[in-house]
Amino acid sequence: MNPVVGIAAFVAVSVATAVVGFYGLRISRTTGDFYVASRTVRPWWNASAIGGEYLSAASFLGVAGLILLSGTDALWFPIGYTAGYLMLLLFVAAPLRRSGAYTIPDFTEVRLDSRAVRRVTSLVVVVVGWLYIVPQLHGAALTIRITTGLPSWVGSVAVVIVVCLTVVAGGMRSITFVQAFQYWLKLTALAVPIIFIVLMLAGNGAQAVAEAGTNPTGLAPTGPYQNISLLVALLFGTLGLPHVLVRFYTNPDGQSARRTTLIVLGLLSVFYLFPTAYGLAGRMFAPGLAQSARPDALVLLLPGRLVGGPAGEMLSALVVAGAFAAFLSTTSGLVVSLAGVISQDVLGGSVRGFRLAALISATVPLGFAFMTDSLALAGSVGLVFAFTASTICPALLLGIWWRGLTDAGAIAGMLTGGLLCGGALVAGALTGPAASGTAMPQWLAQPAAWTVPAAFAVMVLVSRATKDRVPRTLTKVMTRLHTPERPLATER
Amino acid sequence: MTRVRVTAPQSAARPVLESRGSAEESDVGQVFVRSLIRSQLRLALVVAAGFLLILLAFPLMLGLAPGLADVRIAGIPFGWLLLGAGIYPVIGLSAWLYIRAANRNEARYRDLAEDR
Repeated sequence: MNPVVGIAAFVAVSVATAVVGFYGLRISRTTGDFYVASRTVRPWWNASAIGGEYLSAASFLGVAGLILLSGTDALWFPIGYTAGYLMLLLFVAAPLRRSGAYTIPDFTEVRLDSRAVRRVTSLVVVVVGWLYIVPQLHGAALTIRITTGLPSWVGSVAVVIVVCLTVVAGGMRSITFVQAFQYWLKLTALAVPIIFIVLMLAGNGAQAVAEAGTNPTGLAPTGPYQNISLLVALLFGTLGLPHVLVRFYTNPDGQSARRTTLIVLGLLSVFYLFPTAYGLAGRMFAPGLAQSARPDALVLLLPGRLVGGPAGEMLSALVVAGAFAAFLSTTSGLVVSLAGVISQDVLGGSVRGFRLAALISATVPLGFAFMTDSLALAGSVGLVFAFTASTICPALLLGIWWRGLTDAGAIAGMLTGGLLCGGALVAGALTGPAASGTAMPQWLAQPAAWTVPAAFAVMVLVSRATKDRVPRTLTKVMTRLHTPERPLATER
Repeated sequence: MTRVRVTAPQSAARPVLESRGSAEESDVGQVFVRSLIRSQLRLALVVAAGFLLILLAFPLMLGLAPGLADVRIAGIPFGWLLLGAGIYPVIGLSAWLYIRAANRNEARYRDLAEDR
């Protein structure tokens, strides 16, 4: 691929992000108080912003790559990523908005009336955020290497620098506008090339070179255990993602939080049709990409491979721009929410502290990204969901729906889930195919099916044993979480 | 042009619990609140279980009728259409039904709590 295409696409996305950020800043300034402004964000904008932040490297590149490799088994990834929002709607959206908490640590502290719970939750949130940023940087490294031929590290470093500059300058902070723009950019960048490709293939009457059902590599199909465990991770992991939950605060009330989630579901459903189409087209018309390059690069290479010529270059540039939008929006969303947690809990909540925390939040995962070799992008993000589902999810679900939860129970459960799932991830990395040459056992490769129930069980049992620690504010908090705001739809 | 920096107030670390009035103070108010929470939880569990059953039925259907997955519609195997596109409308429909019912539960609570 022409290296200029990749670099031009990256620069264009960074500049566009800065411009939209500036425009958005001016809009939020005219409405006066920032907090007031943030509460009058329309559900459509808010939903686009959630979609923009959520659709990461895993969704943009990884899903299509996995579909190319494993066929219909991989379709459970986009299904899980979307259905996770259904669970978020059913169990978390409205009560979380009504709690008045800005972040997950805020929520657990208010609900359980305990500083200790807050600290443990903050720790877990930081680990989740860091684990989640690493695959974004791996995606950036892959994209830069494939599209420009530069060394991989350039991609990760470039993303970290752009994110640090925008976050530290205040340009990305809570700007719904930028994230909403990124969603529509990503959708366009995926949709236009694949529609062009399909029309062209149909016009040529091109014959598929392979059946959709045949695996292009000798990879063994995943069994039912792995699919179910993956679904557990994705369904329960989504409702604990720190950068997603922080967006729910910008809804004016609980009912609009629900409406926003419904729109998010629509946006995600439309988006995931396209990675699926890429995967299917790759299987039928370019199965060679599974062996030659990294399968995660399928989305980047397919337009050039099937269209070619100047039109192919234009479409490739569009896809590369969309990929960088994915890395930048997810990483900056995570860095903002991590910096908020770190600066409030460790650095005293000052502006200087926020900037320092943003730098720490972005550079630590850069180190991880250098040290680790990238797995399949969708797979490694799936493991982060497993970790979230085993730690934050039980604390949120039991906190919202069960009066018996105590601070001791929540801490014990989060630590158990974190240690079990983290241990499985580390053991998997040490004994995985890269290290020992053999496939790792399924229960280690996809741990959510047993770590999530274990975390719930420990949380319930320890809470039962420490009944006297149920907070005295319980009645007040539960009433607030579940009763509709008064008067209708406007608070205060 | 001056920039105004907006930072989280110190109290943001502990969001203030606004009062929801009589609902949390009186015993009768608490009866209504508890029944609201129970009906919302029951609703969420029913919708989640229904959705998961449908989700499970899709691969089972493909597994039990071996030829079905390979039937082609517009050149695309049915198995791909079902899992790649067919599940999303089910998710959307479940969400829409849930929201209608949840809002109805809240309206009923409001009637009860404000009629007294």
